[in-house]
Amino acid sequence: MSDIEVHMGDIAVMKGAHNLITSGVGSCLVITLHDAKLQIGALAHTMVPSSAKRETEYGQRMSARLSSKTSSDGQACLVKERVSTKTKETKYVDVAIDQMLKGLEANGAKRKDLEAKLIGGANMFPSIASDDIGKDNVLSAKDKLNAKGIRIVGECVGGSQGRSVEFSPTTGIVTVKIKF
Amino acid sequence: MGNELQEIDLLNQVNDEAAASASRALSKLIDKPVDVGISKADVKRVEELSPLIGQEEVVAGIYLPVTGDIKGAALLIFPKETAFTLSDLLVKREPGTTRKLVELDKSALKEVGNIISGSYLTILSNVLQIKIVEHIPNFSFDMFGAIVSQIITDFAQKTENALVIEIEFIFKPETLKGYFLLLFEVEQLKAMLGSVGGGGIKDLLP
Repeated sequence: MSDIEVHMGDIAVMKGAHNLITSGVGSCLVITLHDAKLQIGALAHTMVPSSAKRETEYGQRMSARLSSKTSSDGQACLVKERVSTKTKETKYVDVAIDQMLKGLEANGAKRKDLEAKLIGGANMFPSIASDDIGKDNVLSAKDKLNAKGIRIVGECVGGSQGRSVEFSPTTGIVTVKIKF
Repeated sequence: MGNELQEIDLLNQVNDEAAASASRALSKLIDKPVDVGISKADVKRVEELSPLIGQEEVVAGIYLPVTGDIKGAALLIFPKETAFTLSDLLVKREPGTTRKLVELDKSALKEVGNIISGSYLTILSNVLQIKIVEHIPNFSFDMFGAIVSQIITDFAQKTENALVIEIEFIFKPETLKGYFLLLFEVEQLKAMLGSVGGGGIKDLLP
Protein backbone atom coordinates (compact mmCIF):
# COMPACT_ATOMS: atom_id res chain seq x y z
CA MET A 1 0.00 0.00 0.00
CA SER A 2 1.68 3.18 -1.08
CA ASP A 3 1.53 6.15 1.22
CA ILE A 4 0.84 9.61 -0.07
CA GLU A 5 3.19 12.31 1.13
CA VAL A 6 1.80 15.71 2.03
CA HIS A 7 4.44 18.42 1.77
CA MET A 8 4.87 21.46 3.95
CA GLY A 9 2.12 23.97 3.24
CA ASP A 10 -0.10 21.42 1.43
CA ILE A 11 -3.35 19.68 2.26
CA ALA A 12 -4.81 16.40 1.06
CA VAL A 13 -8.33 15.01 1.22
CA MET A 14 -8.50 11.25 0.96
CA LYS A 15 -10.87 8.33 0.82
CA GLY A 16 -9.38 4.92 0.43
CA ALA A 17 -6.74 2.71 1.88
CA HIS A 18 -3.71 4.89 1.27
CA ASN A 19 -2.19 6.52 4.32
CA LEU A 20 -1.28 10.18 4.30
CA ILE A 21 2.21 10.87 5.65
CA THR A 22 4.21 13.97 6.38
CA SER A 23 7.62 14.29 8.01
CA GLY A 24 9.93 16.74 9.71
CA VAL A 25 7.22 18.61 11.59
CA GLY A 26 8.74 21.18 13.95
CA SER A 27 6.89 24.39 14.73
CA CYS A 28 4.55 23.50 11.87
CA LEU A 29 1.18 22.05 12.79
CA VAL A 30 -0.36 18.97 11.24
CA ILE A 31 -4.15 18.91 11.42
CA THR A 32 -6.12 15.77 10.63
CA LEU A 33 -9.89 15.59 10.16
CA HIS A 34 -11.69 12.28 10.07
CA ASP A 35 -15.24 11.15 9.40
CA ALA A 36 -15.62 7.64 10.77
CA LYS A 37 -19.00 7.04 9.11
CA LEU A 38 -17.79 7.78 5.61
CA GLN A 39 -14.23 6.63 6.30
CA ILE A 40 -12.83 9.78 4.74
CA GLY A 41 -10.08 12.02 6.06
CA ALA A 42 -7.99 15.08 5.39
CA LEU A 43 -4.53 16.16 6.48
CA ALA A 44 -2.90 19.58 6.42
CA HIS A 45 0.75 20.44 7.07
CA THR A 46 0.40 24.09 8.08
CA MET A 47 3.19 26.54 8.83
CA VAL A 48 1.78 29.79 10.15
CA PRO A 49 -1.20 30.65 12.34
CA SER A 50 -3.39 32.96 10.34
CA SER A 51 -3.89 34.59 6.97
CA ALA A 52 -5.63 37.53 8.64
CA LYS A 53 -2.57 39.73 8.63
CA ARG A 54 -1.97 39.13 4.95
CA GLU A 55 -2.89 41.57 2.23
CA THR A 56 -5.81 40.42 0.17
CA GLU A 57 -3.62 40.17 -2.92
CA TYR A 58 -2.71 36.59 -2.17
CA GLY A 59 -6.08 35.74 -0.75
CA GLN A 60 -7.73 36.65 -4.01
CA ARG A 61 -5.33 34.50 -5.96
CA MET A 62 -6.15 31.58 -3.75
CA SER A 63 -8.20 28.93 -5.41
CA ALA A 64 -9.22 25.53 -4.31
CA ARG A 65 -7.72 23.14 -6.77
CA LEU A 66 -9.30 19.96 -5.70
CA SER A 67 -9.26 17.35 -8.35
CA SER A 68 -10.82 13.97 -8.42
CA LYS A 69 -8.59 11.07 -9.18
CA THR A 70 -9.04 7.38 -9.02
CA SER A 71 -6.17 5.50 -7.53
CA SER A 72 -4.76 2.31 -8.98
CA ASP A 73 -6.81 0.06 -6.72
CA GLY A 74 -10.00 1.69 -7.97
CA GLN A 75 -10.82 3.50 -4.77
CA ALA A 76 -11.91 7.08 -4.98
CA CYS A 77 -9.09 9.36 -4.04
CA LEU A 78 -9.13 13.09 -3.73
CA VAL A 79 -5.79 14.74 -3.58
CA LYS A 80 -5.17 18.43 -3.62
CA GLU A 81 -2.82 19.30 -6.40
CA ARG A 82 0.46 20.81 -5.40
CA VAL A 83 0.07 24.52 -5.73
CA SER A 84 3.09 26.64 -6.61
CA THR A 85 4.89 27.71 -3.46
CA LYS A 86 4.20 31.35 -4.15
CA THR A 87 0.48 30.97 -3.73
CA LYS A 88 0.41 28.12 -1.27
CA GLU A 89 -2.23 29.65 0.95
CA THR A 90 -2.87 26.38 2.74
CA LYS A 91 0.27 27.06 4.75
CA TYR A 92 -2.04 29.17 6.94
CA VAL A 93 -3.82 27.21 9.66
CA ASP A 94 -7.17 28.94 9.10
CA VAL A 95 -7.13 28.65 5.31
CA ALA A 96 -6.06 25.00 5.49
CA ILE A 97 -8.98 24.13 7.79
CA ASP A 98 -11.42 25.91 5.46
CA GLN A 99 -10.04 24.07 2.45
CA MET A 100 -10.09 20.68 4.17
CA LEU A 101 -13.72 21.24 5.17
CA LYS A 102 -14.58 22.22 1.63
CA GLY A 103 -13.03 19.04 0.28
CA LEU A 104 -14.64 16.81 2.92
CA GLU A 105 -18.09 18.38 2.64
CA ALA A 106 -17.96 18.08 -1.13
CA ASN A 107 -17.72 14.37 -0.47
CA GLY A 108 -20.69 14.28 1.85
CA ALA A 109 -18.97 14.63 5.22
CA LYS A 110 -20.90 16.40 7.98
CA ARG A 111 -19.17 18.73 10.42
CA LYS A 112 -20.81 17.10 13.42
CA ASP A 113 -19.24 13.78 12.44
CA LEU A 114 -15.75 15.15 12.02
CA GLU A 115 -13.03 14.59 14.57
CA ALA A 116 -9.82 16.60 14.59
CA LYS A 117 -6.32 15.76 15.81
CA LEU A 118 -3.39 18.15 16.16
CA ILE A 119 0.28 17.19 15.90
CA GLY A 120 3.38 19.41 16.03
CA GLY A 121 3.58 23.02 17.15
CA ALA A 122 6.97 22.49 18.79
CA ASN A 123 9.68 25.04 19.39
CA MET A 124 12.93 23.59 18.06
CA PHE A 125 14.94 26.42 19.62
CA PRO A 126 13.39 26.91 23.06
CA SER A 127 16.14 29.34 24.03
CA ILE A 128 14.40 31.82 21.74
CA ALA A 129 11.19 32.07 23.70
CA SER A 130 9.99 35.37 22.31
CA ASP A 131 8.62 34.06 19.07
CA ASP A 132 6.88 30.78 19.76
CA ILE A 133 5.15 30.25 16.45
CA GLY A 134 4.37 26.62 17.25
CA LYS A 135 2.20 27.64 20.16
CA ASP A 136 0.44 30.25 18.03
CA ASN A 137 -0.29 27.61 15.40
CA VAL A 138 -1.94 25.37 18.00
CA LEU A 139 -4.02 28.23 19.43
CA SER A 140 -5.11 29.33 15.97
CA ALA A 141 -6.18 25.80 15.06
CA LYS A 142 -8.17 25.37 18.28
CA ASP A 143 -9.95 28.69 17.74
CA LYS A 144 -10.82 27.87 14.16
CA LEU A 145 -11.98 24.32 14.90
CA ASN A 146 -14.10 25.50 17.83
CA ALA A 147 -15.64 28.19 15.64
CA LYS A 148 -16.50 25.54 13.05
CA GLY A 149 -17.95 23.24 15.71
CA ILE A 150 -15.44 20.46 15.15
CA ARG A 151 -14.36 18.31 18.07
CA ILE A 152 -10.68 17.91 18.85
CA VAL A 153 -10.20 14.33 20.03
CA GLY A 154 -6.44 14.14 20.32
CA GLU A 155 -3.29 16.18 20.31
CA CYS A 156 0.45 15.66 20.44
CA VAL A 157 1.77 19.20 20.48
CA GLY A 158 4.45 21.45 21.96
CA GLY A 159 7.83 20.50 23.35
CA SER A 160 11.02 20.89 21.37
CA GLN A 161 11.14 17.81 19.20
CA GLY A 162 10.53 17.09 15.55
CA ARG A 163 7.71 14.71 14.62
CA SER A 164 6.65 12.61 11.68
CA VAL A 165 3.01 11.74 11.12
CA GLU A 166 1.13 8.89 9.48
CA PHE A 167 -2.65 9.17 9.15
CA SER A 168 -5.14 6.57 8.00
CA PRO A 169 -8.17 8.24 6.39
CA THR A 170 -10.08 4.99 6.80
CA THR A 171 -9.61 4.38 10.52
CA GLY A 172 -8.61 7.90 11.57
CA ILE A 173 -5.63 6.47 13.43
CA VAL A 174 -2.69 8.87 13.68
CA THR A 175 0.81 7.51 14.34
CA VAL A 176 3.45 9.99 15.52
CA LYS A 177 7.16 9.21 15.27
CA ILE A 178 9.91 11.03 17.13
CA LYS A 179 13.66 10.52 16.91
CA PHE A 180 14.54 10.61 20.59
CA MET B 1 24.76 41.64 -17.71
CA GLY B 2 27.90 43.48 -16.72
CA ASN B 3 26.36 44.27 -13.40
CA GLU B 4 25.30 40.70 -12.88
CA LEU B 5 28.83 39.42 -13.42
CA GLN B 6 30.16 42.02 -11.05
CA GLU B 7 27.72 40.86 -8.39
CA ILE B 8 28.65 37.23 -8.83
CA ASP B 9 32.30 38.22 -8.56
CA LEU B 10 31.41 40.08 -5.41
CA LEU B 11 29.75 37.00 -3.90
CA ASN B 12 32.70 34.84 -4.88
CA GLN B 13 35.01 37.31 -3.26
CA VAL B 14 32.94 37.24 -0.07
CA ASN B 15 32.96 33.43 -0.16
CA ASP B 16 36.74 33.23 -0.58
CA GLU B 17 37.49 35.73 2.14
CA ALA B 18 34.97 34.18 4.54
CA ALA B 19 36.42 30.71 3.94
CA ALA B 20 39.95 31.93 4.61
CA SER B 21 38.90 33.75 7.74
CA ALA B 22 36.90 30.78 9.07
CA SER B 23 39.83 28.45 8.33
CA ARG B 24 42.15 30.60 10.44
CA ALA B 25 39.71 30.82 13.35
CA LEU B 26 38.85 27.11 13.32
CA SER B 27 42.51 26.11 13.11
CA LYS B 28 43.10 28.09 16.26
CA LEU B 29 40.13 26.48 18.01
CA ILE B 30 41.08 22.90 17.09
CA ASP B 31 44.81 23.53 17.18
CA LYS B 32 45.18 21.67 13.90
CA PRO B 33 45.27 22.94 10.34
CA VAL B 34 41.71 23.30 9.03
CA ASP B 35 40.83 24.22 5.49
CA VAL B 36 37.35 25.54 4.98
CA GLY B 37 36.32 25.48 1.37
CA ILE B 38 33.09 26.75 -0.08
CA SER B 39 32.11 24.32 -2.77
CA LYS B 40 28.70 25.70 -3.63
CA ALA B 41 26.86 28.97 -3.23
CA ASP B 42 23.32 29.16 -4.47
CA VAL B 43 20.36 31.47 -4.53
CA LYS B 44 17.16 29.59 -3.76
CA ARG B 45 13.60 30.12 -2.80
CA VAL B 46 13.17 29.45 0.89
CA GLU B 47 10.64 26.71 0.33
CA GLU B 48 12.97 24.91 -2.07
CA LEU B 49 15.36 24.27 0.79
CA SER B 50 13.78 21.14 2.16
CA PRO B 51 14.99 18.62 -0.46
CA LEU B 52 18.59 19.45 0.51
CA ILE B 53 18.74 16.74 3.16
CA GLY B 54 16.13 14.10 4.02
CA GLN B 55 13.30 15.54 6.10
CA GLU B 56 13.70 12.93 8.83
CA GLU B 57 17.50 12.84 8.83
CA VAL B 58 18.90 13.76 12.23
CA VAL B 59 21.18 16.79 12.08
CA ALA B 60 22.84 19.26 14.40
CA GLY B 61 21.49 22.73 13.67
CA ILE B 62 23.09 25.91 14.92
CA TYR B 63 20.85 28.90 14.41
CA LEU B 64 21.91 32.53 14.82
CA PRO B 65 19.32 35.27 14.40
CA VAL B 66 20.64 38.25 12.44
CA THR B 67 19.53 41.86 12.91
CA GLY B 68 20.86 45.29 12.07
CA ASP B 69 20.31 46.93 8.70
CA ILE B 70 19.13 43.59 7.42
CA LYS B 71 17.04 40.98 9.21
CA GLY B 72 17.66 37.33 8.69
CA ALA B 73 19.02 34.08 9.98
CA ALA B 74 22.23 32.13 9.75
CA LEU B 75 21.88 28.37 10.06
CA LEU B 76 24.68 25.86 10.12
CA ILE B 77 23.71 22.23 9.55
CA PHE B 78 25.80 19.13 10.20
CA PRO B 79 24.49 15.63 9.51
CA LYS B 80 24.53 13.43 12.63
CA GLU B 81 27.74 11.48 11.91
CA THR B 82 29.53 14.67 10.89
CA ALA B 83 28.51 16.32 14.13
CA PHE B 84 29.93 13.34 16.04
CA THR B 85 33.25 13.41 14.14
CA LEU B 86 33.49 17.15 14.57
CA SER B 87 32.88 16.75 18.29
CA ASP B 88 35.76 14.26 18.49
CA LEU B 89 37.99 16.91 16.93
CA LEU B 90 36.72 19.83 18.97
CA VAL B 91 36.67 18.15 22.35
CA LYS B 92 39.84 16.15 21.57
CA ARG B 93 38.41 12.67 21.98
CA GLU B 94 39.64 9.55 20.27
CA PRO B 95 38.24 9.57 16.73
CA GLY B 96 34.97 7.67 16.48
CA THR B 97 34.14 7.78 20.18
CA THR B 98 31.40 10.43 20.25
CA ARG B 99 28.03 8.71 19.99
CA LYS B 100 25.96 11.22 21.91
CA LEU B 101 26.19 14.99 22.17
CA VAL B 102 26.67 16.26 25.71
CA GLU B 103 26.60 19.92 26.77
CA LEU B 104 30.31 20.33 26.03
CA ASP B 105 29.83 19.11 22.47
CA LYS B 106 26.86 21.39 21.95
CA SER B 107 28.85 24.42 23.15
CA ALA B 108 31.74 23.47 20.90
CA LEU B 109 29.45 23.10 17.90
CA LYS B 110 27.77 26.40 18.72
CA GLU B 111 31.23 27.97 18.73
CA VAL B 112 31.86 26.57 15.25
CA GLY B 113 28.57 28.19 14.22
CA ASN B 114 29.74 31.44 15.72
CA ILE B 115 33.04 31.32 13.87
CA ILE B 116 31.64 30.40 10.49
CA SER B 117 28.73 32.78 10.48
CA GLY B 118 30.83 35.48 12.13
CA SER B 119 33.47 35.19 9.41
CA TYR B 120 30.90 35.31 6.66
CA LEU B 121 28.75 38.10 8.03
CA THR B 122 31.69 40.34 8.93
CA ILE B 123 32.95 40.21 5.37
CA LEU B 124 29.46 40.62 3.93
CA SER B 125 28.88 43.65 6.13
CA ASN B 126 32.20 45.17 5.03
CA VAL B 127 31.55 44.60 1.35
CA LEU B 128 27.97 45.87 1.42
CA GLN B 129 28.81 48.55 3.97
CA ILE B 130 25.85 47.68 6.15
CA LYS B 131 25.47 46.96 9.83
CA ILE B 132 24.91 43.28 10.58
CA VAL B 133 24.41 42.13 14.16
CA GLU B 134 24.80 38.44 14.83
CA HIS B 135 23.05 37.05 17.91
CA ILE B 136 24.03 34.19 20.17
CA PRO B 137 23.83 30.71 18.66
CA ASN B 138 20.97 28.33 19.45
CA PHE B 139 21.33 24.60 19.17
CA SER B 140 19.02 21.80 18.15
CA PHE B 141 19.70 18.13 17.40
CA ASP B 142 16.69 16.69 15.63
CA MET B 143 15.02 16.08 12.26
CA PHE B 144 16.34 18.33 9.49
CA GLY B 145 12.84 19.18 8.31
CA ALA B 146 11.69 20.20 11.76
CA ILE B 147 14.68 22.49 12.33
CA VAL B 148 14.72 24.15 8.93
CA SER B 149 10.98 24.59 8.69
CA GLN B 150 10.89 26.62 11.88
CA ILE B 151 13.42 29.07 10.45
CA ILE B 152 11.62 29.13 7.11
CA THR B 153 8.34 29.75 8.87
CA ASP B 154 9.67 32.89 10.48
CA PHE B 155 10.22 34.21 6.97
CA ALA B 156 7.05 32.85 5.45
CA GLN B 157 5.14 35.11 7.80
CA LYS B 158 6.90 38.24 6.66
CA THR B 159 7.69 37.57 3.05
CA GLU B 160 7.08 35.01 0.32
CA ASN B 161 10.69 34.98 -0.82
CA ALA B 162 14.02 35.02 0.88
CA LEU B 163 17.57 34.73 -0.30
CA VAL B 164 19.31 31.51 0.61
CA ILE B 165 22.99 30.93 0.22
CA GLU B 166 23.88 27.29 0.46
CA ILE B 167 27.47 26.49 1.17
CA GLU B 168 29.32 23.26 1.75
CA PHE B 169 32.21 23.30 4.15
CA ILE B 170 34.93 20.74 3.92
CA PHE B 171 37.01 20.28 7.04
CA LYS B 172 40.36 18.74 6.31
CA PRO B 173 41.94 16.35 6.96
CA GLU B 174 38.68 14.71 8.01
CA THR B 175 36.76 16.17 5.06
CA LEU B 176 33.52 16.93 6.83
CA LYS B 177 30.66 18.52 5.01
CA GLY B 178 28.11 20.87 6.43
CA TYR B 179 25.68 23.39 5.10
CA PHE B 180 25.61 27.07 5.89
CA LEU B 181 22.40 28.83 5.08
CA LEU B 182 21.91 32.56 5.13
CA LEU B 183 18.35 33.74 4.87
CA PHE B 184 17.52 37.36 4.34
CA GLU B 185 14.29 39.05 3.52
CA VAL B 186 14.61 39.76 -0.15
CA GLU B 187 12.96 43.17 -0.13
CA GLN B 188 15.44 44.37 2.44
CA LEU B 189 18.35 42.89 0.59
CA LYS B 190 17.24 44.46 -2.66
CA ALA B 191 17.12 47.86 -1.01
CA MET B 192 20.50 47.27 0.53
CA LEU B 193 22.13 46.27 -2.74
CA GLY B 194 20.48 49.23 -4.41
CA SER B 195 22.12 51.50 -1.87
CA VAL B 196 25.58 50.26 -2.80
CA GLY B 197 24.75 50.41 -6.49
CA GLY B 198 24.66 46.69 -7.08
CA GLY B 199 22.15 45.85 -9.78
CA GLY B 200 23.01 42.31 -10.75
CA ILE B 201 21.97 40.29 -7.71
CA LYS B 202 18.67 42.13 -7.58
CA ASP B 203 17.84 40.72 -10.99
CA LEU B 204 18.86 37.23 -9.95
CA LEU B 205 16.46 37.27 -7.04
CA PRO B 206 13.03 35.74 -7.39
